[in-house]
Amino acid sequence: MNRRQFIRDVLLWSAGATLAVPRLTIPAEVRAEELPASPLLAVAKGEDYAALVTRVLQPLGGMGRFVRAGDRVVVKPNIGWDRSPEQGANTHPQVVQAVVRQALAAGANKVLVFDRTCNEQRRCYANSGIERAIAELNDSRAVIEHIDQRKFVPVEIAKGKALTRWEIYKDALDCDCYINVPVAKHHGLSRLTLGLKNTMGVIGGNRGSIHRDLGQSLADLATVVRPRLTLIDATRILLDNGPQGGNLADVRRIDTLIASVDPVAADAYATTLFGLSPADIASTVAAHKMGLGEMALDRINVVEA
Amino acid sequence: MSRSILRLTSSTWRALGQTLFLFFFLALFVKTDYAGVDELNWAVNLLFRIDPFLAAAAMLAAKTVIALMLPALTTFGLTLLFGRFFCGWVCPMGSLIDASRRLVGRPVASPPRPGRRQLKYLLLLFLLTAACFGLPLAGYLDPFSILVRGLTFSLQPSLDHAATVLFTWTYQQAPAWVNTVTEPVYAFLRQTVLPFGDKVYGLSLLSLFLLLAVLGLSRVEPRFFCRKVCPLGALLALPARFSLLRLRGGTAECGKCSQCRMVCPMAAIGESREIAAGECTLCLDCVSQCPRSRFGYGIKRGAAPASNGNGRHPNLSRRAMLTSLAAGALAPLALPSRTQARHGDPLLIRPPGALAEPDFLDYCLRCGECMKVCIGNALHATWLEAGLEGMFTPKLIGRLGYCEYNCTLCGQICPSGAIRKLGKSEKQAVVIGLAHFDKNRCLPYASATPCIVCEEHCPTPDKAIKFKEVAVDTPKGEQITLRLPYVVENLCIGCGICENKCPLEGEAAIRVTAAGESRHGRLPGPEGY
Repeated sequence: MNRRQFIRDVLLWSAGATLAVPRLTIPAEVRAEELPASPLLAVAKGEDYAALVTRVLQPLGGMGRFVRAGDRVVVKPNIGWDRSPEQGANTHPQVVQAVVRQALAAGANKVLVFDRTCNEQRRCYANSGIERAIAELNDSRAVIEHIDQRKFVPVEIAKGKALTRWEIYKDALDCDCYINVPVAKHHGLSRLTLGLKNTMGVIGGNRGSIHRDLGQSLADLATVVRPRLTLIDATRILLDNGPQGGNLADVRRIDTLIASVDPVAADAYATTLFGLSPADIASTVAAHKMGLGEMALDRINVVEA
Repeated sequence: MSRSILRLTSSTWRALGQTLFLFFFLALFVKTDYAGVDELNWAVNLLFRIDPFLAAAAMLAAKTVIALMLPALTTFGLTLLFGRFFCGWVCPMGSLIDASRRLVGRPVASPPRPGRRQLKYLLLLFLLTAACFGLPLAGYLDPFSILVRGLTFSLQPSLDHAATVLFTWTYQQAPAWVNTVTEPVYAFLRQTVLPFGDKVYGLSLLSLFLLLAVLGLSRVEPRFFCRKVCPLGALLALPARFSLLRLRGGTAECGKCSQCRMVCPMAAIGESREIAAGECTLCLDCVSQCPRSRFGYGIKRGAAPASNGNGRHPNLSRRAMLTSLAAGALAPLALPSRTQARHGDPLLIRPPGALAEPDFLDYCLRCGECMKVCIGNALHATWLEAGLEGMFTPKLIGRLGYCEYNCTLCGQICPSGAIRKLGKSEKQAVVIGLAHFDKNRCLPYASATPCIVCEEHCPTPDKAIKFKEVAVDTPKGEQITLRLPYVVENLCIGCGICENKCPLEGEAAIRVTAAGESRHGRLPGPEGY
């Protein structure tokens, strides 16, 4: 075989391989856990966030109920903005750290932390304090990674009304346990951004276009991205100029965490912290209508931990 | 060859020195990026601050002493001592030209002629005079500017693209065991030589062609660019002529051997083997190649042999010099007749901290570093929007990127202070433009569709984009509360994130123009009445 022939063969062979349509089979829907008629929701207040995470999970059975030994876990905080923890635009780093630490203690094989940010990724990861919080754990199983474009896979959203197909981050779909750790804050369009809205951080594509029917789109996404646990960080809540804030006068410190298996119930309850009601949030209403969870406050079993 | 490894030839030492400096330069280049903290530590702007040509041009243009560029005096002073070592040992462009010589191919060996090496002196004279009289063009031909632009705008992004294609393919197609090898390699490359994300740049191909042309010209003559074009080399040749230390060697008595003349890449050795100190870049090839080891480096001694045709001096004709001076002095007179003298391009959005436009053009070195370091990939090379002299200066293109609210890197990196170094709060107060809505396209206005993505992203703590709520009937007949966005002019800083994130395809429904920018001297605009 001479050089020319070799090069020609290589080109032919690799062209054949490249033309093959890449296809990753991801189960379009992770099976839904049966939601109880009256979902349990834990609320806890306190200034020591590490202890607070433990306390708020206790009524739900502790982290061990969600993470089993050997699990690949995704912890999805809100790291959307180039803001400091005091500004309340991202999930508080100590809360994220405590959740990851508990997942590790429960025997997780790997805990992956990521978000598709709105501001520049590196600045968000650094200035939110979350990158450092994960590094401080000093555990090779805890990984915070920047979004890897290769990992977005097209997913059919069979039950979707506004969205029927979208690109979703592979790890959010095929992990053993997905834990949603949003921050509760003001948002111009959707009034508040809570758990369902936090799912925006695991999807690809032109996210802005979803805003045309944001509430229904988020509910549609909730049919395929299904957290086993939603833990809402309300240690600092941003009351105005959200979702990125920047003015400390808009931030109120209330040192509260909310946890539930029911993503809709968690969002519904969190609205009360802002003096709103669940019906004010379009995504909560849409998700409830689709049977994804409970939004009636009197039917949610609230336990103060 | 029974030579021990430690006894390297002089040329090899020089090549090692070049390699060292080249890697140092490339390391600085890669380091010129956000590294997790707001302050940059090491960056390639060092190189531009020791460039006496750019320093002279910028200072003549600005008619002031630019303190940031004073380190260039060191280079000048060292050249006065040691000769043009900078061109032969330090200059990364020179090293690349040498390194690519085999690729480019050697020109036919012929007795080297000094040729038209006067060109670079005339060019230098023209560029400096033109800069002084108001036409700053120095950055177009400075070797570092050409190099950094080529690397930033084209080569590094291309490398990134190639790596992404390859490792995406392995990631999606190759079996797992392949990925256990390729993924760590990819991660390593990401952390070292590749840019953080995929980047695009205005004038990327032009910058690449310029760089390739400089390298490729060596096919005509070795180090063609250095011999005949490089204005920095011309400037360094001036003190090198009087340098204390210099190469000396052969004499007319060497006989027929002209090995030194054949190998000299700068054609600096004349027929009587005398060396023109202004042209010699101390590459030491003659030292290594001389069969009688006659060449040596040492202190200038006594009277030099009389000059002949090869010329120890630039040998500029009076007419050519006067023409260069006159061209430099007269060319700027044509500028006020351009349209932008009356009305500047409103889409010419300069980075925050940029000096007033005429000063900005005088100070800017066209080095492309602000664009390299721009974390939002928002700054792009200007084509002719700022005039013939404004090419490769930075401008913000909102649809491609936006100015990150808390970032101050461009001001930190700018080697000449064309973009002032600003603290975070200072920078956040600088207005680089103003956003305005195109209500014919903006979704809530044009089709009663909810959106306000712009409002969500507006970074000022008191948002410059606010909205009013109105009850409207949708085309479907439902009544909804619609949020209609509007810009609060005195809060908008023109960062462009709204234009960048606007979810419409094609042109954004909110656009930023340079109107309202807070630079001291505004762009010339309509005079009104």
